[in-house]
Amino acid sequence: MSTLDLMTTKKPDLALRAKVLSKIGDHRPYNCFQCIRCTSGCPSMKMLELKPHEVVSLTRLGFIDDVIESGILWACAMCLKCKERCPQEVAPVDLILALRNLAVETEATVPESFLKSVSTILETGFVQKPQRTVTRKMEKVDRDKLGLPRFREASDRFKTVLMKALGTF
Amino acid sequence: MTFRVAVYWGCVIPTIQYSYEMSVREVLPKLGVELVDLEDASCCGLPVRSVNTYASVYLAARNRAVAEKTGLEDLLIPCSGCHLSLSEAKEYLSEDEELRRKVDSLLREEGLELKDSVRVWHTIDFLHDFIGEEKIRKSVKRHLAGLRFAPHYGCHILRPSSWERVDNSEDPRKLDDLLTWLGAEGVDYPEKLDCCGCLLLLSQPDAAFSFAGLKLKALKELGVDGLVDCCPSCHMMFDMRQKSLAATVGAKLDVPVLYYTQLLGLAMGIDMERLGLQLNRSPVDEILQKIVH
Repeated sequence: MSTLDLMTTKKPDLALRAKVLSKIGDHRPYNCFQCIRCTSGCPSMKMLELKPHEVVSLTRLGFIDDVIESGILWACAMCLKCKERCPQEVAPVDLILALRNLAVETEATVPESFLKSVSTILETGFVQKPQRTVTRKMEKVDRDKLGLPRFREASDRFKTVLMKALGTF
Repeated sequence: MTFRVAVYWGCVIPTIQYSYEMSVREVLPKLGVELVDLEDASCCGLPVRSVNTYASVYLAARNRAVAEKTGLEDLLIPCSGCHLSLSEAKEYLSEDEELRRKVDSLLREEGLELKDSVRVWHTIDFLHDFIGEEKIRKSVKRHLAGLRFAPHYGCHILRPSSWERVDNSEDPRKLDDLLTWLGAEGVDYPEKLDCCGCLLLLSQPDAAFSFAGLKLKALKELGVDGLVDCCPSCHMMFDMRQKSLAATVGAKLDVPVLYYTQLLGLAMGIDMERLGLQLNRSPVDEILQKIVH
């Protein structure tokens, strides 16, 4: 993904840009002066070539589709170093999360496991039910056997309200 | 005198990271704390953050409101991800009136009300700032002299420092202090602030394993007795998945990994099985021998 190519061939999508910037978070892309402090400290830069300053720049220019379609948004580990270290109080991580929200909303390609987690929370109130596990000696154990109190599942009322919350953007 | 504190466990601790729950439930009563579990808690919202931030803020606010229903002033959140999520909701709700109105109306449907009446703690600042040095030093029955540990703070209790977080974002010392109070040594190392990569498991598992694997690989050269952590997601990476990490980074990894509360419990003389030490998958036996015998 190169900024130059996009700029010569694409038209910015200002409506989508406005939508991203209306989402919750401390993203302030217009504050960015491209010092690249975010990218230089980004652990996903080393491993997956995520460049937070580019995401900020592309969003500011209005090339939202391209950022979403590149799939690079899903390389962020949410370590929050970029949010911590930006001298301009831009939070690239918040922008990445807002763009992920938009990817879901516009039904772009999204790693399936993210959506699966949400449906499990809708069913049970939690990301998973209590799992059986094994000790180092391969003995099977669960909460009961370990002497832990009973796990309390979420109420049906809660699930209805969560459904409603998910329907609001 | 016992001090009553509400406790919010989140998802990961009570569904798989049993050793964290067991060790917290063992050590805190010995320090004069009574834990009050929440009725009808749910996911903190962090796993929903990428899909719908609005819903994640609602979930975090909901658990705050559920905690407030206990009438207690203090809320302990041993999970770092939950701690971040509940802190984040507080920030965003205080600066966005429309968001606050929407969330309040959802909460009302469950008969909940957010009053912002609880003070939020994580295990680390609760032990360090609330319980304090004197009580912890006094509780030690087995002095851990000679043991050197690499403290792993994790990302979510440290950043962003513009919100109320647990310790200094670039030079955290509290877990180091807590180790010192047990007679052990907390070792500084260049990779101290490196992320475990857990949140990449859903989209980029190999990269996630590399994050954690490279950190453990670096520790081997440091000659420490083990890594001490305080977040269920980090622990899942370093302890439970250590074999996968080793395969991914192509190194032999045999780093003992323990929760701080497990180590504290050992120092207090609590039985290993009650601290869930049989559940650690990393090779902790050697360290246990050094401490117990």
